[in-house]
Amino acid sequence: MDTGPLYLEPRLAPRLAALLGSAPFLHMLVDALGSPLNVLLPDQAAENAEGFRSVYRRHRLGGHVFFAHKANRSRSLVRRLTTADAAVDVASLGELRHALGDGFTADRIMATGPKDPAFLWLAARSGVTVNADGPGELEALAGLVRRHGLPRPRVLLRLCEFENSGPRMLSRRSRFGTSVKALGPLLDLLERHRDSLDPVGVAYHLDTTSPDEKAIALEGCLRAMDDLRLRGFQPRAVDIGGGFGVNYLAHGAQWDRYTSELTAAVMGRRPPLTWGGHGYGLHSEAGTLRGALSLYPAHRPVAGAAYLDALLSQPAPTLGRPLGTLLLESLYDLYTEPGRALADQCGLSLARVLEVRHRDAGPAFVRLAMNANDVSLEDHGILVDPVLVPRDGEPAGPQEPVGVHLMGNLCLEADLITRRTVFLPRLPQPGDLLGFANIAGYCMDFSATSAQQQPVARKVAVRQEGGAWRWCLDDEYWPIEEYRPITDSGGQA
Amino acid sequence: MRYDSITEAIGNTPLVRIDPAVHGLRHIDLYAKLEMLNPFGSVKDRAAWNMARSGLPGARERGATVVELSSGNTAKALAVIAGMHGLSFKSVTNRMRIPEVKDLLLLLGAEIEELPGRSECLDPTDTEDPLTLFHQRLNQSGSAHLHTDQYFNALNTEAHQTGTGPEIVADLDGRAPDWFLACVGTAGSSTGVGRALRAHDPAVRVIGLVGQKSDFIPGIRNIDEVHAVGLFDPATYDAIESVSADDAIDGMLALVRRCGILAGPTGGAAYRGAVRHLKPIDAELTGTDRQSAVFIVCDRVESYLGYVKQRRPELLGRPPARNSVTALTDIEVRAAQVIEVADAQKWLAAERPLVIDLRSSFAYAALHIDGSVNIVDELFDELVRGGMPFSKRQPVLLACPVGEQSARYAALLTRMGHPDVRSLAGGIIAWRDAGAPLVRD
Repeated sequence: MDTGPLYLEPRLAPRLAALLGSAPFLHMLVDALGSPLNVLLPDQAAENAEGFRSVYRRHRLGGHVFFAHKANRSRSLVRRLTTADAAVDVASLGELRHALGDGFTADRIMATGPKDPAFLWLAARSGVTVNADGPGELEALAGLVRRHGLPRPRVLLRLCEFENSGPRMLSRRSRFGTSVKALGPLLDLLERHRDSLDPVGVAYHLDTTSPDEKAIALEGCLRAMDDLRLRGFQPRAVDIGGGFGVNYLAHGAQWDRYTSELTAAVMGRRPPLTWGGHGYGLHSEAGTLRGALSLYPAHRPVAGAAYLDALLSQPAPTLGRPLGTLLLESLYDLYTEPGRALADQCGLSLARVLEVRHRDAGPAFVRLAMNANDVSLEDHGILVDPVLVPRDGEPAGPQEPVGVHLMGNLCLEADLITRRTVFLPRLPQPGDLLGFANIAGYCMDFSATSAQQQPVARKVAVRQEGGAWRWCLDDEYWPIEEYRPITDSGGQA
Repeated sequence: MRYDSITEAIGNTPLVRIDPAVHGLRHIDLYAKLEMLNPFGSVKDRAAWNMARSGLPGARERGATVVELSSGNTAKALAVIAGMHGLSFKSVTNRMRIPEVKDLLLLLGAEIEELPGRSECLDPTDTEDPLTLFHQRLNQSGSAHLHTDQYFNALNTEAHQTGTGPEIVADLDGRAPDWFLACVGTAGSSTGVGRALRAHDPAVRVIGLVGQKSDFIPGIRNIDEVHAVGLFDPATYDAIESVSADDAIDGMLALVRRCGILAGPTGGAAYRGAVRHLKPIDAELTGTDRQSAVFIVCDRVESYLGYVKQRRPELLGRPPARNSVTALTDIEVRAAQVIEVADAQKWLAAERPLVIDLRSSFAYAALHIDGSVNIVDELFDELVRGGMPFSKRQPVLLACPVGEQSARYAALLTRMGHPDVRSLAGGIIAWRDAGAPLVRD
């Protein structure tokens, strides 16, 4: 049994690390705007997009990197990406209106996800690409186009259930997309609606971390593109969705150690590491470990743009050549939809420590001015430590690592910020802040609500200028030069 | 030796002493139990045969499929055994990462199902892990399966308790070794052999070797994964130690190159783990106080060349070839003759050069320049390695997707003495973008 503190320290890129090191600035923001507070780093999103573009360049591929907007409701991230070599994919009418209103032109927007008539209408009306889920949606879209005299929309066909010859790769069942086995009827439909729909390519999105499954799907898409060509269409793009992942942890060894100790705890060989002995999907049956660890693989040596690079470098299962080479040789553009990976290192949620309650047995309770919905790490299975941002500098005297439970501000037994015991380098004090780093992708505002009338986190966008941090409300961020004093030159140049 | 069936050749494998000059232990005799010499190639032949044997007649009557969760050697043995008895075999696994083994299994007639990867976005409606679902499917009534269940089947352990263990004792002139070291996969061999040896001499110490968590060694589980094995009981082992993929390959190299034992990485891991564990003990021993130790070489090297290539490409390195694009200088590449799309079209009409499209046949078949020949870059590379593949009097236009690769080959052919090789500037993509015709014929 390992008795030391089981840290899961977050991986911090220089920008986010510098921000977390600016304690007075962060305290000033929370004092002014309240706890919880979401802080966004839009410049980082642009840098991440550039990372993906460099992989495109390495493989000589054209196409778009679409930011999956649903990963974060922030305006500043979207507005900043308009000035980067990036596009945006929107999964609702609201997101589409936001993207159009905040500076994306239709040629850089794609509508994805389940769509209602108004969403489809605005997509077609504005001329964005529609990533169609199936025949029903295509029929609906074609109907709208004809009835309302709309421009002929570009459509991508979302496919699923790709099969491999030889070893059969099982895939998690999906409710989305059209089975490749039913591609024939889908193409018949497109032929019928040749005047109303412009099929520009095919798409897949698989909910898996396995590059092998994605390779099978990508090869399946290449074959489907050929079927489109045989019907006389000129498809140009293959959309391989997102799911490139994020590496949340600074040290792989901490993750290995933590998960081993968690296994030992589930097997009853050490005290529990979680509230109520929760096993995160694992349990013990007659001395044998059962179940599967339902956690995000928080340490991922290959994630984000590097994952895309690895996927494109991987040989196609039956065609043999690297997938990126096959795309290039077939003259196709590549579309990707990274959400989590484009928001990597882009955000921080801050919560004020309200109370530290010692207990006779077991870890102390640390109560935060925040609840589990404000930072949905637990919902997404992401285990990473918060960073302690002291109010008055580090206290004097020796520091002792402690394990604590992080309680939220709701009067609900379930309102724990995380079900696991969190290890901190010292016991926090009321007034300190805990910073949940790198949670802009899906964990920041995905499930935030105003339940029990607790405040929902406000959002600010920050950027470094010289040595100082500049901030504004997220809504007020525009990626342009700040206002300068107007100098009246009296008509002289 | 004469047998009526290949299954009779399972077991009775040699116990070979490793030369002390290789392992460097002065007071411990180290022996390798060569399970790689079983007829289907691995230690798993014993367990597979022992688990399947009694169920085969019944399975044949029901037309059942033999089913196992196996990533390799057990599947291999079961596929052969099933085939010999007119049954089909299906393997379900999420651990099959060795392409050669996959191909071999397909050759043997196995059906392979690989389990999906983890979810990228956690799905709370997904309540069961794939393995649980698999077991539920197997247990549905009316399904005709013979599930050998190697991770929970006592017959797996028994094969080693009655076979492998006693063979070791017999070969050591009726004495159990002081040490037994084994990699833990299903825990069948380590548990079974351990039991047999301890029954003979309770002082035998058993060391279990597991993979390092972030590493991958075929056939071995890591320290967390072993808890999911029903046959695994921590009390079996005096110690559990971990080995890395590097250890496995180093050990394998020592066995292959210095001992003439064509072991795979799991055997290599066992050897390295054994020597590492025994070194400090050996240093304490003095005088005539000799001990003995046995480890298992569970399978052969041939299937793992891809594994080695991925981790230690230098071990399989070849000298640079003659006439290779990798030998070109940047100056030579920049000096390659390129031709813009419009000029290329005129040149084609006037002099009819040979047009070679270096893309894959898949892409070529879809769309290409009319009259061009498809020689995929990999093949073209091999062709030019041997010399000029066409007459020097024949002008040549090389085309690839963006004109980079074709420029390199144009430079190479120029260096080899061809007077008129040109590369299509911007490649097929520029050709398409210029509106020049592409055909599918």
